[in-house]
Amino acid sequence: MNGRMWVMAAAGIFLLGSLVASGVLAARVQEAPQASVKSATATAPGQETPVALRPARERMAVHVLLGWVWLSIAVLLGLLRLRVREADRIFRMGLNRAAEKTPKGQGTDG
Amino acid sequence: MKLPYSLFSRRAFLNSLIGSWLAALGAVFISPLVKYIVPPTREPDQVSVPLADLKDLAPHTVKGFAWGNKPGLLKRTEEGGFIAFVGVCTHLDCNVTFLAEKRRFFCACHEGWYDENGLNIAGPPPAPLRRLAVSVEGDAMIIKKQG
Amino acid sequence: MNVLRAWMEERLGLRAVTLFLEKKEVPRHKHTFLYYTGSSILLFLGIQIVTGVLLAFYYQPTLAEANASVVRIMTEMPLGWLVRSVHSWSATFMIAIVLVHLLGIAFTKAYRKPREATWVTGVLLLGASLAFGFTGYLLPWDELSLAATKVGTNLPKALPVVGAWLTQVMRAGEDVTGDTLSRFFIFHVSVLPLAIMACLGIHLFLVQRHGMSIPLEEERKGVKAPALPFWPNFAFREAGVWLVLLGLLITIAVVASPGIGPQADLMAPAPEGIKPEWYFLFMFQTLKLFPARVLGLNGELVAVLIMMAGMAALLLLPFIDNRPFERKGKVITVLAWAGLAYAVGMSIWSLL
Repeated sequence: MNGRMWVMAAAGIFLLGSLVASGVLAARVQEAPQASVKSATATAPGQETPVALRPARERMAVHVLLGWVWLSIAVLLGLLRLRVREADRIFRMGLNRAAEKTPKGQGTDG
Repeated sequence: MKLPYSLFSRRAFLNSLIGSWLAALGAVFISPLVKYIVPPTREPDQVSVPLADLKDLAPHTVKGFAWGNKPGLLKRTEEGGFIAFVGVCTHLDCNVTFLAEKRRFFCACHEGWYDENGLNIAGPPPAPLRRLAVSVEGDAMIIKKQG
Repeated sequence: MNVLRAWMEERLGLRAVTLFLEKKEVPRHKHTFLYYTGSSILLFLGIQIVTGVLLAFYYQPTLAEANASVVRIMTEMPLGWLVRSVHSWSATFMIAIVLVHLLGIAFTKAYRKPREATWVTGVLLLGASLAFGFTGYLLPWDELSLAATKVGTNLPKALPVVGAWLTQVMRAGEDVTGDTLSRFFIFHVSVLPLAIMACLGIHLFLVQRHGMSIPLEEERKGVKAPALPFWPNFAFREAGVWLVLLGLLITIAVVASPGIGPQADLMAPAPEGIKPEWYFLFMFQTLKLFPARVLGLNGELVAVLIMMAGMAALLLLPFIDNRPFERKGKVITVLAWAGLAYAVGMSIWSLL
C-alpha cells in the first residue's frame, strides 16, 4: 500500500506543478501578443471586430490550459467520489447518527 | 529508506491533495481576473512637436506637450537647445509648473523645488525630474524615452 | 482553528444554521437530479456578479463611449475578451438552468401547497433573469443590440391606454437613445441586482423552511422515500456537479467567445437578420407569424395579450392547479409539455 501512496504523491505533485507552470506560461504568452492583437484588429466599417486573434503559440497555450483544467476536474471528481462513497458508507452504517449521541463527537474531518 | 510508520495518515494526505488541487484550479480561474483588473498603462514611444510651434520659444521658457497621460515640459536652454522633462513631481505625483522669473520648477502640493535642469533642490522631492531624450527630425522635434 | 470557531460561535451564534444543515435531508428517487438545478443557478449568478463587476470597471455607459469601451475591453485589457465571454456564456447557462428548474418543478408539481409562495417568487426570479438578459444585451451598443432593443421595447405599444406610456418609460422617451442606454445600464447593475437579491432571499428561506418536495408518483407509493443527508453526502455530489459545470463554462467561453459588431447608428436602416437572445426567440417568431388582424382586432395586440395571459397563468399556477393529484394536475402536465414543445419548435423555426 505504501508504494502506491508514494507513486500517487509523486504523480500528484508533478501534475500540480505542471498545472501551475502551464498557467504561468499561458499568462506570459497572453501578455506578449497584446500589441499584435491590437494592431491586427483595425476594423473595416460594417465588419465585426474579430475577437482575440490569437497567434499559434497563444492558441497552443490556451488549449494546454484547458486540458489541465479538465484533467484537474477529473482528478477532483475522483477524489470527491472517494469522499462521497465514504459519506454514503457512514450513512448506511448509521455512524453519523451514532456520533450525535456520544458526548464527544467522532473526530470526523470533512 | 523505508519508514517504520507513515508520516501522516492516509486521510490527511488525501485532504491535502484535494485542498491543493482545488487551490490550483481556483488559481487558474482567478488569475485571469487578477490580471484583468490592472489595465496596461502604455507610455508613448515618442511624441513629435512641430518645430514651427517652437520658433518663438525664448531661452528659459517652457512649452507643454502631452506625454501619454502625463504632462511633458519642453524647455529652451541658454544656448538655444532643448531639454524635456516629464512634468510630474517625484514626491507624490503632482504636476509641476515652471516659474520663469525664478527659473525653477515648483510643485505646489508640498512646495517642492527643482532647478532649471530638473534637479531637486528644496522640499520633499527625493529625485530629479525625469528627463526625456530630445532630437530634431525633419521639421519636428522628436521626444523619446531616455536610455 | 477551534479557538476561532468558538470565538465566532460566541458572538454570531451560527450553530443553529450548522445544526439545521446537518439535519437537512434530500429525498432519493429517480428525479433527484432536479435538486441540483437550484444551486447551479446560484453558481452562475455568482459568476455573473463577479464578471459583471469586472466588466463595469472599464465599461462606459454613454452613447459615445459604450461600443468603444467594449472594444477596448476585448482588445486592450488583459484577458478582457475572456471576462466578457464568460459573462455572456454564463448568462446563457444560467437562464437555461432556470428554465430546466422551472420545468422540473412544474412537472413534479412541487408548486403545490405549502410551496405556492416559493413558486411565485421563483417566477419573479425568472422575470428578473430575463430582464437581466434583455437590459444587458443593449449595453455593447452595436447594430444588433440596438435593433433588438427597438423591437423589444416596441411591444408594450400594442396595449391600450398604458402601452405608449410604458414604451416611453422603457426607452426614456419616444425613441431608443443614449438615455435608454443609461436607463438600461442602471437597471442592469443596480435595480435588478437589488430586486433579485430580495426575491432570492425569500425564495431560499422558503425552500429551506419547507424542505425538498417529493414528486407525486413517489408520494403515491405511500412509503417514505429514502433520503440522503445534505451534508456531506448531497453537498459533495453537488460540488462535483459544480466542477463539471465550471469546466464546461470555461471551455465554451474560450473556444466560442462572442465578437462585437460596429457601433450602432441611430439613423441607419435596420440590419438584416436581427434576432434577440435565444430565450426570446419563440416570442419573436410568434410575433412574426401572427396575422395583422385577428377577429377585427390589431394582431399585435392580441399576441401581446395572449403572452401576458400566459405569464399570468405561469405566475398563478399553484392557485390554478390546486389539486394536482387529480385530473386537473394531468391537464396541467399536458399543457406544460405542449408549451415546451411550442417554445422549442418556434425557437428552431426562427433560426431557419
